[in-house]
Amino acid sequence: MSTSPAPSPSSAPSAETSTATTSPTSPAPSSRRHLLRAALTRLLSSLGVLWAAVTVVFVLSRASGDPVAQLLPENANPEQVAQMQATLGLDRPLIVQYLDFLGGLVRLDLGDSLLYREPVTSLIAERIPATALLAAAALLITVVVAFLAGSIAAMRRGTGVDRTVMGAVLVGQSTPAFWVGILLVLLFGVQLRVLPAAGYGTLAHLVLPATTLAIFSVAVVARLLRSSLIEVMGQDHVRTARAKGAGEVRVLLGHSLRNASMPVITVLGLELGALLGGAILTEQIFNWPGIGRLTIDAISFRDFPLVQGTVVLFAVTFIVVNLLVDLSYAIIDPRVRTEA
Amino acid sequence: MTSLPRPTRRDALRLGAGGSALGALALTAGCGSEPAAGDARALRIAQKSEPTGLDPHLESGLDGMNVLINIFDTLTMRDSSNELVPRLATSWEAVDEHRWRFHLREGVTFHNGESFDAASVKFSIERLIDPATESTIIELRAVDHVEIVDEHTVDIVMADPDPVIPEKVSLFGGVMLPPGYLEDVGDEEFAAQPVGTGPFRFVSWRKAQLLRLEANAEHWNGRPAFDELHFTAMPNPASALAGIQSDVVDMVSALDPEAALQLEGYKDVALDKYPGIRMYFVVLDTEHEILRDERVRRALNHAVDVPLLIEAVLNDSGREAATIVPQEAFGYVPDIPPPERDPDLARELLAEAGHADGIELRFTSSNKEQLVCEALAGMLGDVGVTLDLELLEPGTFAERLESDDPSSLGSMYLTGSTGWTLDGGATLQSYIRSDRRRSRIRSDHADALMDTIEQTIDPDTRLEALQEMQQWLHDEAPFLFLYQADLDFATNGEITWEPNVNGTLAMETAR
Repeated sequence: MSTSPAPSPSSAPSAETSTATTSPTSPAPSSRRHLLRAALTRLLSSLGVLWAAVTVVFVLSRASGDPVAQLLPENANPEQVAQMQATLGLDRPLIVQYLDFLGGLVRLDLGDSLLYREPVTSLIAERIPATALLAAAALLITVVVAFLAGSIAAMRRGTGVDRTVMGAVLVGQSTPAFWVGILLVLLFGVQLRVLPAAGYGTLAHLVLPATTLAIFSVAVVARLLRSSLIEVMGQDHVRTARAKGAGEVRVLLGHSLRNASMPVITVLGLELGALLGGAILTEQIFNWPGIGRLTIDAISFRDFPLVQGTVVLFAVTFIVVNLLVDLSYAIIDPRVRTEA
Repeated sequence: MTSLPRPTRRDALRLGAGGSALGALALTAGCGSEPAAGDARALRIAQKSEPTGLDPHLESGLDGMNVLINIFDTLTMRDSSNELVPRLATSWEAVDEHRWRFHLREGVTFHNGESFDAASVKFSIERLIDPATESTIIELRAVDHVEIVDEHTVDIVMADPDPVIPEKVSLFGGVMLPPGYLEDVGDEEFAAQPVGTGPFRFVSWRKAQLLRLEANAEHWNGRPAFDELHFTAMPNPASALAGIQSDVVDMVSALDPEAALQLEGYKDVALDKYPGIRMYFVVLDTEHEILRDERVRRALNHAVDVPLLIEAVLNDSGREAATIVPQEAFGYVPDIPPPERDPDLARELLAEAGHADGIELRFTSSNKEQLVCEALAGMLGDVGVTLDLELLEPGTFAERLESDDPSSLGSMYLTGSTGWTLDGGATLQSYIRSDRRRSRIRSDHADALMDTIEQTIDPDTRLEALQEMQQWLHDEAPFLFLYQADLDFATNGEITWEPNVNGTLAMETAR
């Protein structure tokens, strides 16, 4: 489900990566009304995306099997199976189940989990803090490390420093997260015993899973930032700044980083989605009590309502992040803002 | 000059561990010695999953039951030598075909002070069988109702005879609930703060993190040795192993053989292996055009070297099986030998059945059993049986296993089955009678035997039927008989405890 199209570092990243109707390079000539209409269109299409996602999940999860087969022991007889199906409402026509599900969705009622027999919303609410914490920590690591690595590499373009940093980043990008996770556990948890190998609760528990989760994103963002910076640093205003005697650091912080950040923000938004997807694996490795583990349980037990619930959550998160990314253009890029 | 022995990978790991331990010591030296986290002695247990809830009537999974069996007592119990022994019932007998009488222990109280008596038994069992409870525990399906004889005697009254009721109330169906408490707080609150008579009381549960129980000092059987039990779900075997190596947990239950193998040779990690009851076998479709021939089915049995399979794939964590009845179960016949493992004989039988050029069969299994399946495919391939192997995601496999369409699993499928009642009928019942969905057998003779096994109260008659059934299985070979899996536990080496063959984590006797 995760989407992280690795941007090609050679091609100049452009605003096309945004799906928004308000493209920063072509600000609408008119007014606030136009923006409002665009936002509304955007919201409606988001709802369409949400509807499509939950419908696909509804169909696929039902095609994948019968939860009653796993809820009842092997020696259950057909009457008991039928009775359980009736109890859970699985004997009703699919279309009725579907409309019921959509109706519930409108009321924010996602039904009861078949496995845990609790409302899906409360099961998800219980697990959101852990996943949000993990994703936020990973995002923080991504931003800090990727900006450092990308800036250093861009400033020292073509040197050994550049090659070393980008080489390390490439290794990070091509290493599977679960493997990195297991290595980190073996080194810091089992051998050195300086960090907990699994569990949740303290800051120390957060270090290994957040690092594991961040490694791929760091690589993607650092490479993109490097190429974006290199492009910006060749532009006229930067040359002017240099001509006026600005040092490399000042050129970077004062004149380049802000402009180079535009495509990075888009990718960071996408990466946040990828982080949520990656959390499923990472939470499994580190025994992290978040949405990822809940999703795995839900899928393996064919707990339809819970699978649907987690997919709704993922879809909503993606949509909201995309909206925020578009809004952030207006804040970062004055060319978008001036028209409002 | 003599050469030094080459260091192995394990030596290198140990060296690394030693060096890094020194480093860690240096790091922590500055921090001063930390006080122990309270004086309470907690036993920290990791298993694959945690309960789905704490209402014992809604929990039919073993991992959930492993927690609940410490909070709730059952009427009867299997001790570590697998004997059915008294628990909350002190004795029991069949009054007639439709009536089981249980005499109850006196002076037992629930964790909330409520006393345990005949009314508690009536309430508990009738709640379980009430359709409104939506229980997934189906063992007591033949029970009609419960009658109170006196304060400490009850009769379980049957709609249909069931000879295994005392065994069935030793686990899932046999937990005793406090009627007063349930009436006061309701089902939901009961599931949030469960109250039983068991050796441990419920303390707290942070989902997907930690479930805590504390010792019940007033337990009728005495206070348990550990002050607390902590249960954690660690679905990923690698993190469970890391957990024990890094002292996050004291014990990991139900390890896979390959996971257990990784732990061998580590300091401070003890591997305990106990006989288990889970049977593994391949169900052969006796209606299939090739497998219909009994010679072919016997050929498959002769082709597979099960002792080699156990040694090579299971790391010796299993016992060869001659039947699908576990050795510890009532009615097991020890003098029926496993099929002779002889590839030449297998080839001969196949040629005799007209398949000298070999055969091809579709074979389905859960991908959890991938290694076993591949070994089987190799051994069968040696005698000319080509397997079209289909490994399915466990959920999909389970769904096809229960499906009404027998062809969905191909001409043969691998399965594991745990008959926790330790009755010979437990595994047989789902795989033999022609009307059961997992069965691929059509035999009036076998059906009649199953009826006797399932419905006769008289133990001698049942024993006879069970023996005859196993002889029939030996002769007809409707299964490819494999093995009975061991239970692998990893501990920190400081725990004394022995499970029964079911592997249930009743920790009252842990020291």
